Amino acid sequence: MDITVRPVPVTAYSVISCCGLGSHALYQALLSKKTGLSDLTLLDVPFDTLVGEISADLPEIQQSLSEYDSRNARVALAALNYQEDGLLAAIESARERYGSDRIGVVIGTSTSGLYETESAYQVFLEQGQMPDDFHFLFRHAYQATPRFLQKQLQLQGPCFAISTACSSGAKAIAAGQRLINHDVCDAVLVGGADTLCRLTLCGFASLELVSPEFCRPMDQNRNGINIGEAAALLLLEKSASQFDNSPHVLSVGESSDAYHMSSPDPDGKGAIAAMNNALQLADIQPSDIDYLNLHATATQINDSVEAKAVYEVFNDAVLCSGSKGITGHTLGAAGAVEAIVCLLALEHQMVPGTYGLEQLDQDFHCQVVKEPRTAKTLHAVMSNSFGFGGNNASVILAKNYER
Amino acid sequence: MPVLFWRKIMKDDLLIKSAVCYCSDGDKLQDFGLQGIEINKQLMPANIRRRASLTTKMAISVATEACLQAEVNPSELASVFASVGGEIQVTDVLCRTLADPQAMVSPTQFHNSVHNTTAGYWGILHGCQHATTAIAAVDDTFAMALLEVWTQLQQQPGDCLLVCYDEYWPEYLAPPIGELAFATALVLSNEEKSYAKGAIFRPQIAPEYSDFSNDLNGLIELSPIASAIPLLQAIQHSPPLALIPLNRDQPQWSTWFKKIT
Repeated sequence: MDITVRPVPVTAYSVISCCGLGSHALYQALLSKKTGLSDLTLLDVPFDTLVGEISADLPEIQQSLSEYDSRNARVALAALNYQEDGLLAAIESARERYGSDRIGVVIGTSTSGLYETESAYQVFLEQGQMPDDFHFLFRHAYQATPRFLQKQLQLQGPCFAISTACSSGAKAIAAGQRLINHDVCDAVLVGGADTLCRLTLCGFASLELVSPEFCRPMDQNRNGINIGEAAALLLLEKSASQFDNSPHVLSVGESSDAYHMSSPDPDGKGAIAAMNNALQLADIQPSDIDYLNLHATATQINDSVEAKAVYEVFNDAVLCSGSKGITGHTLGAAGAVEAIVCLLALEHQMVPGTYGLEQLDQDFHCQVVKEPRTAKTLHAVMSNSFGFGGNNASVILAKNYER
Repeated sequence: MPVLFWRKIMKDDLLIKSAVCYCSDGDKLQDFGLQGIEINKQLMPANIRRRASLTTKMAISVATEACLQAEVNPSELASVFASVGGEIQVTDVLCRTLADPQAMVSPTQFHNSVHNTTAGYWGILHGCQHATTAIAAVDDTFAMALLEVWTQLQQQPGDCLLVCYDEYWPEYLAPPIGELAFATALVLSNEEKSYAKGAIFRPQIAPEYSDFSNDLNGLIELSPIASAIPLLQAIQHSPPLALIPLNRDQPQWSTWFKKIT
């Protein structure tokens, strides 16, 4: 059965990461190939690594919503409020045009407010009770950040979190597109927000997947990930001729590996299915994709499976690169951060490079771009996100909408 | 009821092929006229079962039974998993461990702490490569999960499995939430017209707010997923047409239930 989806315009977006606040900061980092990775200062862990820690000042949460106060909420609020990106103004305009109950909020996260919960547990284990300001549902829980954003923006439409590990941010884009395609919403704020905490740092270290040095995506000598933190928010709206020149989400392909909880299917079947599903939903061919932002975490197995899967779908015909050497692996936010990397590539007609890549793994047969370069022909681009549980999503974005 | 309204919702209906629930306190379910199933630990091979939480075991149990009753192959349908706390007991152990700054964690416990743990094991157990997702929305978790299933089936007609669950929570997190373990699974479809136990229409913001009974509110205090009970009751009693509230928050989400004749 041929099933396709309708494109939805991205009318505004913003991002905060270790590269700084706002989409221009991320663009500058991609363009000048300047990594935001640095030493970890936010917390202590018993091993060496580099992280993508946000150093920009974070805004305070307003008093009436102080129960939601967490690093995750503050990071999301920073992106929301960053004036130069115009996201807040676009949402306010949408609210006036469509009404608050027609605007949804769907945010991906892997650990939400766990950073605060970890501190609360220290108090709990020392004193026998949680600190007074501990609020599980409003800080720790997955739904805390989308709820906070919904209340901050006085919206009343559907609101939920998606938490499928490292594909969360990409899956939120899929859910948002469906809500608009099927007339539940006229606009949806989608994206991802994840912040550093000891659980993910120590957890990935226990799996021996954390690099003590700068990560080296797709490199012959890659040796693990650098974890990062970020919030990336995109406003999707229903299609209208006035938005035809805006970038559009064409489709999101989704699949499961059905193989292992923390290791990808060595044949890459799930990754191949996600990319093919995205192409099918968008009703385009592999040759229509002008750039592919790889998941490329820089672990041995992830990168080799992805390289195999990309070759299976595209042969060696598509330009690829990975951006985690610049932003770190922002886990539940990564799918949304890298959708924005793709939007920046489309807007500036630039193919980002792969920071950390020196010598491409000799077994990889795809065209991995080392240095950022200008291009004049980027129309449709894809971003891959693969997570624990074998949860895969591939997002296709286009420069504009050709009716 | 205006004719136009009928035309609109008829196009969008979803058939309920099966509905199954589990509650750690079976008497509480009986108060609502519902019969739960037992957890079946044998559904998982020993290597997975040994480390699986109650969350995973009860979710897999209701999901498997729902597929069995709907006569659908678990490997052949997409799924939506939804929970407020997810793998809360695994996360609790990890947070206790990490309170020691020098401590490291178990790699298995780490990958079993993600919200999509059950979704991942569901695919692994059945070799299901279809899309699966894991969502959370506090009191609106059931309503939002049903909405996600509805939009998925509008996009890709066929069957979709919905599984909602929350197990016992440590009493210091958000009491009294988690005093009860509750799970429900439904197979919904917009393709085949046979074997349906009823139909629902697109979940929407309710035209008017309907109060849950005190008894139901009491249960939802212990497990927000119990918001599914009015729909489960409708499926059992099959009223010709009924407006079913899906959450107790405002704005309230609801769906129409319609008996299949």
